Amino acid sequence: MEKLTQEEVLHVADLARIEVEAEKLEKYSVELKQLLNDIDKIKDVEVAEDEILVTPTHHFASMREKDKIRNEDFEMIRKNLPLSVGKFVSVPVVIKND
Amino acid sequence: MNDYQTTVGIEIHCELKTNAKMFSPAKNGYTKEANTNINEIDFAYPGVLPTINEEAVRLALKAAILLNCKINQTMYFDRKNYFYPDLPKGYQITQARTPIGVDGFLEIKLNEGTKKVRIHDIHIEEDTAKSIHHNNKTLLDFNRCGVPLIEIVTEADMHTSEEAKAYVRTLKELFFYEDISDCKIEEGSMRCDVNVSVSKTNALGTRTETKNVGSISSVGEVVEREAIRQIKKIESGNRIEEETRRYDEAKKETVLMRKKETGNDYRYFPDGDFPPLVLTEELIKEVTSSITLLPEERRKILENAGISEVNIEKIIANKTLCDYLLSLNTNLKIASNLLLGEIASYLNTHNKKLEETKLTKERLEYIVKKLETKEITNQVFKDILISLFESEKEIEEILKEAKKDTIDDDETLRSMIIKIIEDNEQSVEDYKNGKDRAVKFLMGQIMKSSKGKASPTLANALLIEELEHKK
Repeated sequence: MEKLTQEEVLHVADLARIEVEAEKLEKYSVELKQLLNDIDKIKDVEVAEDEILVTPTHHFASMREKDKIRNEDFEMIRKNLPLSVGKFVSVPVVIKND
Repeated sequence: MNDYQTTVGIEIHCELKTNAKMFSPAKNGYTKEANTNINEIDFAYPGVLPTINEEAVRLALKAAILLNCKINQTMYFDRKNYFYPDLPKGYQITQARTPIGVDGFLEIKLNEGTKKVRIHDIHIEEDTAKSIHHNNKTLLDFNRCGVPLIEIVTEADMHTSEEAKAYVRTLKELFFYEDISDCKIEEGSMRCDVNVSVSKTNALGTRTETKNVGSISSVGEVVEREAIRQIKKIESGNRIEEETRRYDEAKKETVLMRKKETGNDYRYFPDGDFPPLVLTEELIKEVTSSITLLPEERRKILENAGISEVNIEKIIANKTLCDYLLSLNTNLKIASNLLLGEIASYLNTHNKKLEETKLTKERLEYIVKKLETKEITNQVFKDILISLFESEKEIEEILKEAKKDTIDDDETLRSMIIKIIEDNEQSVEDYKNGKDRAVKFLMGQIMKSSKGKASPTLANALLIEELEHKK
């Protein structure tokens, strides 16, 4: 298969919450497949017996003690918010009220 | 319809009862005011680095041990990618490859015996922000964002609504007693996703997942309603599709939310923000030894003390009461009767907690001992009840005053007993014929006649004496 189906492209777009114009579907079908082909090359590397490499260092994670509490003032956070309503963060509507 | 077997698997998300959030040091606690327990990590500011909450790991480890899981001593965290404003990072930190516990089981009690429900895995993750959809706006409260969660996933081992309910009830009780979570299903600190499929063969049917079921009884209803819906659909020639559904409690039916996203859609990969986390043998031992008396072990102790099944369940349903009762060094049956009866009634009426009264453990143990040896009657206990709760006086003094009215002189009691024996010839005959309950009946009559003031020890002795004379 040299390209993805248009349904597959639309599914990926849906997961990423991206709107794709109909005329660009063909272009993305090819480009996404090329990306997947490159990823398939990585998949071909034999790693079944290898440990998961999360970090190249040999350090282990340390844990935070339970009494360390640090809240941030909402006003500080609000300064960087595009939109807020009262003490709430406001975002474009995700689900419309019926 | 009877040809079909229903199969159920359950996923439960439990918020852990910790002081701070899972990967940020913001406070984990319920508050009415939005966006107060937050910090820059919850909002995924550029450059922030999450850290692992030890308290949450300990609680998750305890849960894994309680569910008889094998522990993954070297754990990683993974990113579960999804794009939604309730997690600004664009992914949820979870454990896809190395869950803290795997291959466990939970034993549940059913009418027909016990059953082991296998646990596929238990993993640590973080909760999302709360979304409120209002007036064509989506408002977000990040107090819940980053709250530590454990998700417990069963194998598809249950087949009836009773089994599903027993599983959720048992798990909830276990986690509540071990302070892992406050397990409030109705408030969302414990959330149940119920997977149901039906099949006529040994192969499993296609399952649907009903999310966030709001109570234990609703879990049972979802199993029943969803099985019926699926069977009807199959019988009318349609196929079941993998779907995410929700339960409409008013209509008593499951409702389609969306076609299910598969695991691949989440593009899990290891989270490079965390080096591997190692759970040492020492930590595992420490957490294991912190496990207290489990609910089933408590039930056995109460059962051995001769407490009725109904009362045992009342006691188990109230952890504070159960802890208190089991801390007493006395006759647990008598103590439980007092605690569930007059003591509970006083506390409810006066809207008080036991520790806010003068009824100390020592006082209660003393009174139970006196009742056990029949040195005082229930009537005397009732008479001194208010003083036990409210008086500063020594307990001996309170009892002495109460016993002033006790009829404990031989002559008065004997004449009362003779009269009662004369009025109850049948009971005397029963006694002669070896029926023990005649004595209980006659003692009841003595107490009734003396308005509960007769000394029970003396009355009992005199009654036996008089009955023996009649032989």
